[in-house]
Amino acid sequence: MIEVRNLSKTFGESTEVLKDISFRINKNDVVAVLGPSGTGKSTMLRCLNYLCVPTTGTIRIGDVTVDAAHHTKAEVRNLRRQSAMVFQSYNLFKNKTAKENVMEALVTVQKKPKAEAEEIALKFLKKVGMLDRQDFYPSKMSGGQQQRVGIARALAVNPNVLLFDEPTSALDPELVGEVLNTIKQLAEEETTMILVTHEIRFARNVANRILFMDGGRIAADGTPEEIIDDPQNPRLRQFLNFVSK
Amino acid sequence: MRFNWEYFFETLPLIASKLNVTLSLTLISAFFSLVIGIMFALISYYNVKGLSQLLRVWVSFIRGTPVATQLFFFYYGMANISSIILNMSPTVAVAVIMSLNMGAFVSESIRGALISVDEGQREAAMSLGMSGWQMTTRIVIPQAVRVALPPLFNDLINLFKMSSLAFLVGVRDVMGAAKIESTQTFLFFECYACVMVIYWIITLMLTFVQRRLETRCNAIY
Ligand SMILES: Nc1ncnc2c1ncn2[C@@H]1O[C@H](COP(=O)(O)OP(=O)(O)OP(=O)(O)O)[C@@H](O)[C@H]1O
Ligand SMILES: [Mg+2]
Repeated sequence: MIEVRNLSKTFGESTEVLKDISFRINKNDVVAVLGPSGTGKSTMLRCLNYLCVPTTGTIRIGDVTVDAAHHTKAEVRNLRRQSAMVFQSYNLFKNKTAKENVMEALVTVQKKPKAEAEEIALKFLKKVGMLDRQDFYPSKMSGGQQQRVGIARALAVNPNVLLFDEPTSALDPELVGEVLNTIKQLAEEETTMILVTHEIRFARNVANRILFMDGGRIAADGTPEEIIDDPQNPRLRQFLNFVSK
Repeated sequence: MRFNWEYFFETLPLIASKLNVTLSLTLISAFFSLVIGIMFALISYYNVKGLSQLLRVWVSFIRGTPVATQLFFFYYGMANISSIILNMSPTVAVAVIMSLNMGAFVSESIRGALISVDEGQREAAMSLGMSGWQMTTRIVIPQAVRVALPPLFNDLINLFKMSSLAFLVGVRDVMGAAKIESTQTFLFFECYACVMVIYWIITLMLTFVQRRLETRCNAIY
């Protein structure tokens, strides 16, 4: 489903953030990505849809493959249509209501007729429990509500994989639960997703695989039981000790 | 000395009758400064190589020198090297300088509005596979317009007041009419009071519109 080969990213001349990363993810996998701050988790996720252009490496999602060495605009747009991203700061379109936010890509990218787009939008707003706020602008919604609309917007384009970059870390503590519940529900329905998070316990609960990143590499890769309950890698142990304190 | 109210009220309509000159100067320059401002703003927004650095120098030059000097430099100074400027009517020369001058300010207002649309929304649009054109026309511009309107209206008010420079090169606008009238009657107090009242009333009206616009802009979303 997803295959990343020899992905590396260097900012400027010498800031090597990702160092030759390779991994594969199967359909219906729920993969959590953990790791200390600044190890390149966001960069890796952003490379998957070319919000950040990799220095080297190939990325395949579904049946679209893009090689950093020779990528075209059309290939990149095609690759982006294979995934959908949920951002830490929601990034809803501020000039559009909840419903219009979800409809936007359906109309502009997938060229669906308005009525059909609206029907799809309402379906997914219902799924995240935001049907009653369909006509609200982002400025009139709480962070948790905005993030659930963000999830609906990502789901609506029917992506092969959902990419989450710390979807709850900008939220007030009392709003984290509603968003985590939405993600958990998706995980139970076996939506393929990659989830960068600092919520170790949540990752332990919903993921069936965990990648531990450290210093721009994948330092450990395994099931939640292997990674969290029985960590072998010393850096991973240090990290888990640190965050559980 | 007492203020001659009778003369004041007699002269007011006389001077106000030159508002058409002042207002057409303002509107024509507003149009061209908007065109210039949009062009400049896009060049610096898209960071066009070479041009955007050049523009930054130009904007800092325009903002850093008095507009009266710019007018004299252009109309009297550059007339020596260009026959087009030599044969230019003073009204056109004033409009040119007003447009060039305000264009620099307008470009800053527009650029500020464009970059006020946060990077996150643009990333969201791109990550969904929207094209640059779709993103700009459907997400960035609708939001930028709302942000740009109040400062642009400010620029318009400044432009209106700036038009009073025209009398310096002999244009008979509101200010020019007052100058001519006062040198005949020596009632400077009353004549320039007329000018102030006229400018003030128009500015108050524009400010009123601006307030309304601002509340409407803020209320939408
Ligand atoms: N645009 C950029 N230019 C230069 N350096 C960057 C850029 N983006 C990220 N970096 C650097 O890359 C490194 C990895 O950043 P990244 O955001 O991927 O880390 P992260 O693992 O997501 O951290 P966090 O857990 O704090 O979100 C950091 O050292 C950061 O300073
Ligand atoms: Mg990050």
